Amino acid sequence: MDSSYKDGWKPTPIDVTHPQDVDTARIRLFREPAWHLRMTIEGDRSYLTVKIVRAAPLSEPDRYICFLDANDELICMVDDVHEQPQAYQDIIREELARRYLTSRIERVHSIRSEYGVSYWDVATDRGRREFVVKNVGEDARWLDEKRVLILDVDGNRFEVADLGALDKRSRGLVEMVL
Amino acid sequence: MNAYKETLPESVSETLGSAGLDDEPALMHLATDLLPNRQFGRQWVVVTEKRLVVVPHDAESDIVVVRMDELAGVRTEEVVGGGCMALDRRRAGPILVPYTQSLIPRFAEVAEGIRRLSKGKALSLPEEVERERCEACRRLLPEKNGICAACIRKWQTLRRLLRYLTAQPWRLASVVILTLVSTALELLPPRITQHIIDDVLTPRSNFDLLVWLVIGLLGVRILFCVASVITEWLSQRLGHRGVQDIRSDLYRKLQFLPLRFYDRRTTGSLISRMSNDSDRLEGFLASDLPLVVSKMLLFVGILGLLLATNWKLALLVLLPIPPIVLGGSRIWKRVMRHWIRWGGRWSRLSSHLSESIGGIRVVKAFAQESRESERFDKRNEDLRAVTVAGERNWFVFFTVTNFLMSWGVFLVWYFGGRQILGGEMTLGALVAFISYLWMLYQPLRWFGELYNILLRAFAGAERIFEVLDSRQETDNSEDAVRMPQMDGRVEFRNVFFGYDRGKPVLKGINLVVKPGEMIGLVGKSGAGKSTLINLICRFYDPDSGRIVVDGLEMREVCLEDLRSRIGMVQQEPFLFDGTIAENIAYGKPTATFGEVIRAATAAEAHEFIVQKPDGYDMKVGEKGGRLSGGEKQRISIARAILHDPRILILDEATSSLDTRTEWKIQKAISRLVKGRTTFAIAHRLSTLRSADRLVVLDDGKVAEVGTHRELMSRQGIFHRLVKSQQETSAVMAVGGGKVET
Repeated sequence: MDSSYKDGWKPTPIDVTHPQDVDTARIRLFREPAWHLRMTIEGDRSYLTVKIVRAAPLSEPDRYICFLDANDELICMVDDVHEQPQAYQDIIREELARRYLTSRIERVHSIRSEYGVSYWDVATDRGRREFVVKNVGEDARWLDEKRVLILDVDGNRFEVADLGALDKRSRGLVEMVL
Repeated sequence: MNAYKETLPESVSETLGSAGLDDEPALMHLATDLLPNRQFGRQWVVVTEKRLVVVPHDAESDIVVVRMDELAGVRTEEVVGGGCMALDRRRAGPILVPYTQSLIPRFAEVAEGIRRLSKGKALSLPEEVERERCEACRRLLPEKNGICAACIRKWQTLRRLLRYLTAQPWRLASVVILTLVSTALELLPPRITQHIIDDVLTPRSNFDLLVWLVIGLLGVRILFCVASVITEWLSQRLGHRGVQDIRSDLYRKLQFLPLRFYDRRTTGSLISRMSNDSDRLEGFLASDLPLVVSKMLLFVGILGLLLATNWKLALLVLLPIPPIVLGGSRIWKRVMRHWIRWGGRWSRLSSHLSESIGGIRVVKAFAQESRESERFDKRNEDLRAVTVAGERNWFVFFTVTNFLMSWGVFLVWYFGGRQILGGEMTLGALVAFISYLWMLYQPLRWFGELYNILLRAFAGAERIFEVLDSRQETDNSEDAVRMPQMDGRVEFRNVFFGYDRGKPVLKGINLVVKPGEMIGLVGKSGAGKSTLINLICRFYDPDSGRIVVDGLEMREVCLEDLRSRIGMVQQEPFLFDGTIAENIAYGKPTATFGEVIRAATAAEAHEFIVQKPDGYDMKVGEKGGRLSGGEKQRISIARAILHDPRILILDEATSSLDTRTEWKIQKAISRLVKGRTTFAIAHRLSTLRSADRLVVLDDGKVAEVGTHRELMSRQGIFHRLVKSQQETSAVMAVGGGKVET
């Protein structure tokens, strides 16, 4: 990224004093009792309750994972989930799967458009689901050329990860309404 | 169907039966829409008075039974795109019941119900259940409790809509008569040309008749033009008048609807009913409806004439109608889609324009001019592409429908020509036939769209009628107690209130306020300060408990009398787009100019007002945009002084102002509060020093009451709040930040 700067010119470092500088190598996650997640920063402190969230769930799902305490205050951030040992990765992914209920559309059975409202019937990674989108112009958000996030009337999230990867009929149906 | 008592599928009843769990009557039984593995599916929750059963979706998992006395607590947790109800057990891990976003409101009620049952209290569920699906056709509704566009009671809506037109009987009658006349006139010319061809343009020429017929033709044309201009003019007046009445009714209703109504809807959706839906009705009543009626009349008239002239040929002519209607509507849909897309692209282009021009300083400061230009070029290109595509579709639409229409003409030429050769028909009749044909087909290409136009108008009408049919807040005005005078004694007796059921914000408030007393309301955000004030203004009624003003229950007092005795100075004062004088006199339009000036002087506003070029006649701009924060504050204080309320509410009136302005406002406020019962909210606790008593709210209850000094010496919540504020400002001072005390 520094290539954009001219020779001999160094960017001023962005000074961060908060969040607390936690050595992410010393994170310990464990379930005690089995249904309750706890966290310890080894040699420092312990948290009885911890919540794991993504900083950028749409653009960087595997990176910048944040750990929050019971008051929703930031404990620390892991820049890349792969830095963590496999066992912790599993825990983190499990918690993230619990928190983010976006469904990925894999096939479109039908989309009917009536009076500006569209009725979708789709197969997703969570199974088949019908939903209503009030206003496709506002409630569908293109994340890039091929990827689109759709919010239904209740705020449920559906994602087409790659429009090009859908079968031809599904793609046609989606392109017809979007 | 009750949303909390869904019909149990047989398999679930069987599972319950075979586990011996059907001995108690179920109070709630409903399904989630998410399974524990977060796949879509239905998992049943069955609640009786003594226990709770979670029935798994498959045979492998075990049925979970929890007795109410085993439950330690019920929590609901919201995640992204859904939620989860956690049933904490005393001796085992919690049972997690996940669901999607759609069921969050319902499961909030279920959790509250289970909580009540586990404490041995009776279950109470909201009577008003949100409708998600249309009751008639089972379609998912675009809005909760909204209307199903497909199932509107069309005739009823149409009749109700027409009532706005029948309210102007004379105008309506003349429109109908004139429409009939102009339709008849439109049908005449081909008949006349038929005469000209058959009787005049023959070997035995008849020049006189020709002159008369041509004059007749001209006369009919002129009459037709006059008639249609008048019809158009009258029907426009008729339609616009009808919509004007609808809009007035709607606005009046909106003014009198309770705040609860507004809580459940976004401002945008209401404004859209006012503007978009009424626009649509305007178009419908003033243009579409008359057009449809006259085209229908014309259609029937032509068909009748054709059948009368030559029924065999007429039946042939009907053949191309289905392809014209179907083909027309199909291409029309594509045309419309491009149109909509064009609108979207255009609005994107113009929003980019207004954003980058509005933020031109930022663009320049970050040296992003060329990037903004590139982004604009991209959008400009998108717009061009969609415009060209749209034009192409439009062209295709006309070509195809014209082509389909010409089929009828081919048929007529062929079969009609044969009849002429056979002597069964005259040439004039054939020419008349063909002219009628074009007139017949012309409106047909829109016919496929007609139904949609009607439905769209009905949906708009229904949305407006839904608001018109809502209950307004002054319903009890007949038996309300009048209260011309008020001393300002306010009592809260065990008041409970929550915006959503099951989430109480106020949990048993007890407080007696003497007339003329100033109460400072203190507490963390979310403690219930603003809610308490909303109840004093009677924007909402308490769920239980009573608020008593001067010994009268607030609910029974005439709302208008009550509100005219309550004044408010808000954190962000709302000024209407008018002059300063008009804004000061908003609560008392009858005030003399002298009174306005006196109020402004008392509010320390006179000084700055007279320095404005237009003084009291200055326009404040939208929301008072041309005035500074401190100026707006003082105008709103002047407004309150002139309104002369017995109960005064100050909501953070002195936040974010410089010291000198704040001092002035404090002075103005101290004049304002004199002799009035005052409730003041302030985050900065030092500003509440002049209050007679401070009331500390904590988690919806009154935690501490006393003077500033008493509370400080008690070393309780208030003391802690003051200390932490002082520390924060000390830190800010050291760090060079803004000093606040």
